[in-house]
Amino acid sequence: MFNLIRRDLILQKWQLLIFIPIIMFFIIMDKHPALIFLVASILIPFNAYAYDEKAETNILLNSLPYTRVEIIASRYLGAIVYMGLAIGVTCLALVTFNKPFTMSDMAIGGGLFLWFASFTFPLFYIFKSGYISTVVLIGFLILAGVGPSVFMFIAENLPVINDFIVSLSVPTLYTGVAVLTLIIYSVSWGVTTIIYQRKVF
Amino acid sequence: MEHVVELKNVTKKFKGFSLKPINLQVRRGFVTGFIGANGAGKSTTIKMMMNLLKPDAGKVKLFGLDYQTHERAIKERIGFVYDGNVFYEGLNLKDIKRIVGPAYKRWDDKVFYRYVEQFELPLNKAIKTFSKGMQMKASLAIALSHHAELIIMDEPTAGLDPIFRRELLDLLQEIMLDGSRTIFFSTHITTDLDRIADYIAFINNGEMMFNQSIHDIAENYQLVKGGVDLLDRDTEKAFVHIHRTSTGFQALTDNIEAVKKTFGDSVVMERASLEDMMYYMKGGKQHVQFN
Repeated sequence: MFNLIRRDLILQKWQLLIFIPIIMFFIIMDKHPALIFLVASILIPFNAYAYDEKAETNILLNSLPYTRVEIIASRYLGAIVYMGLAIGVTCLALVTFNKPFTMSDMAIGGGLFLWFASFTFPLFYIFKSGYISTVVLIGFLILAGVGPSVFMFIAENLPVINDFIVSLSVPTLYTGVAVLTLIIYSVSWGVTTIIYQRKVF
Repeated sequence: MEHVVELKNVTKKFKGFSLKPINLQVRRGFVTGFIGANGAGKSTTIKMMMNLLKPDAGKVKLFGLDYQTHERAIKERIGFVYDGNVFYEGLNLKDIKRIVGPAYKRWDDKVFYRYVEQFELPLNKAIKTFSKGMQMKASLAIALSHHAELIIMDEPTAGLDPIFRRELLDLLQEIMLDGSRTIFFSTHITTDLDRIADYIAFINNGEMMFNQSIHDIAENYQLVKGGVDLLDRDTEKAFVHIHRTSTGFQALTDNIEAVKKTFGDSVVMERASLEDMMYYMKGGKQHVQFN
């Protein structure tokens, strides 16, 4: 399992060097720290799918002594591991550039990443290979562009939800969101495993 | 355990193609060649052996174990070589080894580097820059470096030049020497098999025609040539397939005794090559056709 996770580093060793300037760019552009954490988290796991969506890769992985359950588990656990690493590197970069950030920025960035991963990982196994990583990346950009205004719209026009959230204490809210995130991530993991077990190569 | 691979009544249906209930046993310690025309079902069968495809019905067992409960244990013992390159093409051989090697408990770096040297493979060049022959050698080096007991190869000689094909076959012969290995490989180049195969499994149109030793095949099948006037409804029954021309007929028989009894010296009988068999059985066994 560890080997499957480590594989992404071997595959992307040159690209990793490009990721750092990308993070720098966001920092220099003075973007919100939560967004920087999110972008940094996304880079490795989603770039990995550019390799994994090829049929040959799946033939290779499935011919090696791994089960399909392990292959998917390595994706979901790997995403968390690389998210942790990316957040660590981003923290260092932010400190170096003297940009202030809070723990909640990290939590929001990481949380959003997990949500995004939960909804997109299964897609990589449902749709035909070749286009899906492009579709997901474009989807991400659109979401990042439109998402905030949708939230604002909901906040302004549906006071019930707004009031409910405001009425919760901060710890309850954070715990609630964290639990919900984990549940969604786990469900996504389960669904992807089922899809992958039925796949033919 | 005599058989390393056992397929029992295995079926698989696709759009426009189906594998009829297949029974196939691969004997331990021998080279089994798996022949059939393009699209006959060779790759499908191999994919089911590798658990890349699940059969609709029937049982697939390797080393007496099934994939439901022993997937990892089975694959630990298999070395695989596929027709195309399945390794990340942008990576060099060293990095591929870094990814594939740790997957196996019995991976042996020494063996790997020995083959790399023997095959003269560059370690720091991307796989995509390799020629077809070099890619094949790289796959083989990886397949042989974890002390696999069974080597499964899907069309390893396809697209290789004759000299390289011969080299590969010599090498396969060499790795069989220690007696602990089994090789199962598919091909549609039947001349590859005359040289190294002990057993031949023949699949045609999704149906297993036979799985016999080379020796038995030579004894059981012969090519018969004679005048068309010798053929009638009764005498034709002795043949698998008959090919008629203006000067006479050529036919394949799996019933040599009957042919000898019926025709005696009026026909010429000779050894049927694997290619003859593939050609004559194309229409299905016991299915006399007239061309």
